[in-house]
Amino acid sequence: MALSRHDNLHSRLVGWLKVLLPLLALVILSTLFMVSRKIDPQDAIPYAEVDVADRIREPRMTEPAYAGVTEDGASLTVTADAARPDASGKGGTAQTLRAELDTPDGAHTSIVAQNGTFDDTARQMRLNGGVQITTSTGYLMTTEALVSELDRTEVTSAGPVAGTGPLGVLSAGQMRITATEGVSGSYVLVFKNRVKLIYRPPEPPPNDK
Amino acid sequence: AQGANVAFGGLKVDSSLPVEIESDQLDVDQATGVAVFTGNVLVGQGELRLSAATVRVEYDAEGKAISKLHASGGVTLANATEAAESSEAVYTIASGSVVMTGNVLLTQGESAITGQRLVIDVNAGTGTMEGRVQTVFVPAKKPAKQP
Repeated sequence: MALSRHDNLHSRLVGWLKVLLPLLALVILSTLFMVSRKIDPQDAIPYAEVDVADRIREPRMTEPAYAGVTEDGASLTVTADAARPDASGKGGTAQTLRAELDTPDGAHTSIVAQNGTFDDTARQMRLNGGVQITTSTGYLMTTEALVSELDRTEVTSAGPVAGTGPLGVLSAGQMRITATEGVSGSYVLVFKNRVKLIYRPPEPPPNDK
Repeated sequence: AQGANVAFGGLKVDSSLPVEIESDQLDVDQATGVAVFTGNVLVGQGELRLSAATVRVEYDAEGKAISKLHASGGVTLANATEAAESSEAVYTIASGSVVMTGNVLLTQGESAITGQRLVIDVNAGTGTMEGRVQTVFVPAKKPAKQP
């Protein structure tokens, strides 16, 4: 039976579509290659020059970390947000410092300061701009500035300290963490120049015992 | 040991009042947390004043509160009218008891009592002096005859 003539509209339409639609597909497919954007591999990745110029002008370390062990075996690690070597190259300044001091007797002291300067010749670190000291013995003291030796365990507040301890509200003219004389491996936290402590005894237990 | 009972009306103080300790220096051992005040230490609580050369703080079991204050190196316990001196003293804050030992001298107004050991209960305001107690007191003068 010969192919029956497509005489009704539907069959004629489908017949034409069978031809036109593939052609259209071919045309679309071909544009994929001819019209697409040219990728130029030589084109450099664009980035801002500002940071680089800034870095060249003043060399800066971000998230610097300093770790050291003092003569008497206490480990001191200092991290900061940013640090700049100073001109003489003998030290530098740093911003928002966090220092952790772990002494061999197991005590831990953490110090947070606004900014600080490192002095390599004097082997010292001076923290200022508001310093907060927390010791594992429960003392949380704040002071204006603080000096810490880098080669031995000696942390001394430059001015009066105030804060709280396990016994209560405490203030003193000066605070120092140092090794106890004569006893190796044990450390003492010394408050000096008029210490004042206010201790509130806990509420007496109801004396029905 | 028999002892002389002493009225301590003046030394009555509520031992739950805040204690203020002032000294030249405070040493805190980093490992154990033992705190020792040195250099003309002054302990004040309400009316009570206790001064000593050294005061060592003894914590209670969980280490959050003071259980005892060990004062040594010449202790003076005083208030408005009475004063007691000795070489050492231990003040237990919770019970409010002060035990002074080492040639204790207690003066109340004009009268004075000496002994080896003086136990004071500051809450009740009473005390007992023990050990070689000697006392000197001036009988109150006869009041002048009122007209």
